[in-house]
Amino acid sequence: MAEDTVERFERQVLPYLDDAYTLARYLLHDEHDAQDAVQDAALRAFRHFGSFRQGDGRAWLLTIVRNSCYDWHKSHRMDRATVSLGDDAEAVADPRYIADPAVQSSDRERVRAAVDALPAELREIIVLRELNDLSYREIAAVVGVPIGTVMSRLSRGRERLAAALGDDSRRAG
Amino acid sequence: MTCADCQKSLGALIDGELPAGEAARVEEHLANCPECAAARQRLLDTSARLKGELVRYKAPDVLKARIRATLTEPAHEDKPRPIALHPTRSARRWVRPLAAAGVIAIVSSGLTFVAMRDRAPANAVQNEVLASHIRSLIPGHLTDVASNDQHNVKPWFNGRVNLSPDVPRLDSVGFPLVGGRVDYIDGHNVATIVYTRRQHVINVFVWPATDLSNSAPEISGANGYNIIHVRRRGEEIWVVSDLNLAELRTFSALVIPRD
Repeated sequence: MAEDTVERFERQVLPYLDDAYTLARYLLHDEHDAQDAVQDAALRAFRHFGSFRQGDGRAWLLTIVRNSCYDWHKSHRMDRATVSLGDDAEAVADPRYIADPAVQSSDRERVRAAVDALPAELREIIVLRELNDLSYREIAAVVGVPIGTVMSRLSRGRERLAAALGDDSRRAG
Repeated sequence: MTCADCQKSLGALIDGELPAGEAARVEEHLANCPECAAARQRLLDTSARLKGELVRYKAPDVLKARIRATLTEPAHEDKPRPIALHPTRSARRWVRPLAAAGVIAIVSSGLTFVAMRDRAPANAVQNEVLASHIRSLIPGHLTDVASNDQHNVKPWFNGRVNLSPDVPRLDSVGFPLVGGRVDYIDGHNVATIVYTRRQHVINVFVWPATDLSNSAPEISGANGYNIIHVRRRGEEIWVVSDLNLAELRTFSALVIPRD
């Protein structure tokens, strides 16, 4: 392995560790699980760096991070409520993250609780779009679905959040 | 354009993902349809709220250090090790340039932090302690002697520092010993004993105090690190980690000698 491989990896991929860690925190909830998943992803990315040609190191890394998170979830969290990753399944949200109005002291916490209550396949797309600022095409590549699916999931995710965050209204559903 | 068609395109419109021609047709509809215009506003509000209120996390320094360390390890390792304590000889060749880059990145952020503070000189020591902690997270810098056995670590300090620090073994309570090293802080050679808690590195810095009175523990935080300082039995003791404060206090109660 040539030295410039490490240098190239440092330059093209490692600047996106914050993005990677953010995605992992929203997918796995637990900071230690997220760290382990990101470390695993970075190592996988480095091993397969030969197959990464040119292009967007960020979307590439996030693709691997997402896979690591779900692998992590599968291998370490079988005992917990499972997250459905089906293509258009309306997965049941993990009940631990359903918002309890009594503990939502701040707006920030309310927003976070609403996002955590989303099923994983909507939550990941919200995070990739609103926090990671990925284009639809990049999101489609990261998640491995057509752009049309990205659009419909993003739309459903935002509708649910708008409803959850609206003033006690139960408009969209 | 029907309202249903319009509303289907609103997301792509606010995300700037709609082709120009289509965007123009949607805008035209919005100009004449208050209901769809309200729907767009609601979508914009939701999106702005998410962008504004959701936390974008920063990868912790320890995680970055661990990842950089694993890069320098040969590919035959099956699993990432938690922390690369002593890179292999072949890996060492890569460590230096990487570490240099890391030093620039981490120390420069440390310097910014130092520059931003303007407190009494007592804090100069705290800044040195914190800088040493941050520097120790760079691959290859954590330990000079790597051992989980206090009988190796304690004697290693003989002749290297001006005291014989306590090196309790705490792995039974979840704080495994990792090793020791010598730092230079406040004009002293300082014994640094390294423990971990999960992936968190805990550095314990010890050197002889000039003031022989005991002090109560002072707790401070900076840059995401918790810092506990106490003067006990003629030793200055500093405990630094990004571990949460509750666990760090538990830890320091175990390592700081009682009177």
